[in-house]
Amino acid sequence: MGRSLKKGPYCHPKLLRKIEELNQRGERRVIKTWSRASVIFPQMVGHTIAVHDGRRHVPIYITEEMVGHRLGEFVPTRTFRGHIVKEKKTGRR
Amino acid sequence: MAKFKRRSPSYLAVGRIATAHGIHGEVEVEIHTDFPERFTPGARLLVGEGKRTLVIETVRPHRKRLLVKFAEVTDRTAAERLRGDWLYVPIEEAWPLAEDEYYEHQIIGLEVWTDTGEYLGVVDHIIYTGANDVYVVQGPRGEVLLPAIRDVILDIDLEAERMTVHLLPGLVDETP
Repeated sequence: MGRSLKKGPYCHPKLLRKIEELNQRGERRVIKTWSRASVIFPQMVGHTIAVHDGRRHVPIYITEEMVGHRLGEFVPTRTFRGHIVKEKKTGRR
Repeated sequence: MAKFKRRSPSYLAVGRIATAHGIHGEVEVEIHTDFPERFTPGARLLVGEGKRTLVIETVRPHRKRLLVKFAEVTDRTAAERLRGDWLYVPIEEAWPLAEDEYYEHQIIGLEVWTDTGEYLGVVDHIIYTGANDVYVVQGPRGEVLLPAIRDVILDIDLEAERMTVHLLPGLVDETP
């Protein structure tokens, strides 16, 4: 069963409070969180949040398209590293 | 600090033959490239450790994979011999990238320095998150995770094998 609409989306209150404090001060700093279940709110856009993957905090930059998803969706908890060099690109966003 | 010249690979893997399909020599190919459009009729790929050249005759999508028919593979027996083999392209035929894009192997092994002149270490591997990529740097501070965003990655100099970064507050523990 899904979450009741009456409650609205879940976000860890401490995380949301920190984001709102940063927004008020117009400051940018990385916030660490263990709360993978927190939903990404519009206030978080433009911030970098380090989400725990079970071992370490992985920093992710929040963009508009990510709003409504949960933080944990963007940070994999399992890693597989092969030895083959693939045609895989990377770059700054 | 001794500096070793990084070796560029000779080939890049673009796919892996998962299994044979049907009786006419088609194979199912897992895609391992960011450019699946390179699988077109007439394209040449190198297969297996022997790097035998195969020419694609037909391609069609099949779930998350491709069904590929090579001109040199005419029956199922021949197709089954290819099962598990990787498909490569020579590094010279790597797909051209847009500005500010790099191949994984170009980034791994780069030295990372901060804009204040601190040496952070060497890029060990890349985490592909659903959002930005994350460069994992191993060095004197231990493991440092750098998000591949413009605020953090200031410059990548492939000639000098060096990346310059800006550490946002809170990105690394202040105690080294």
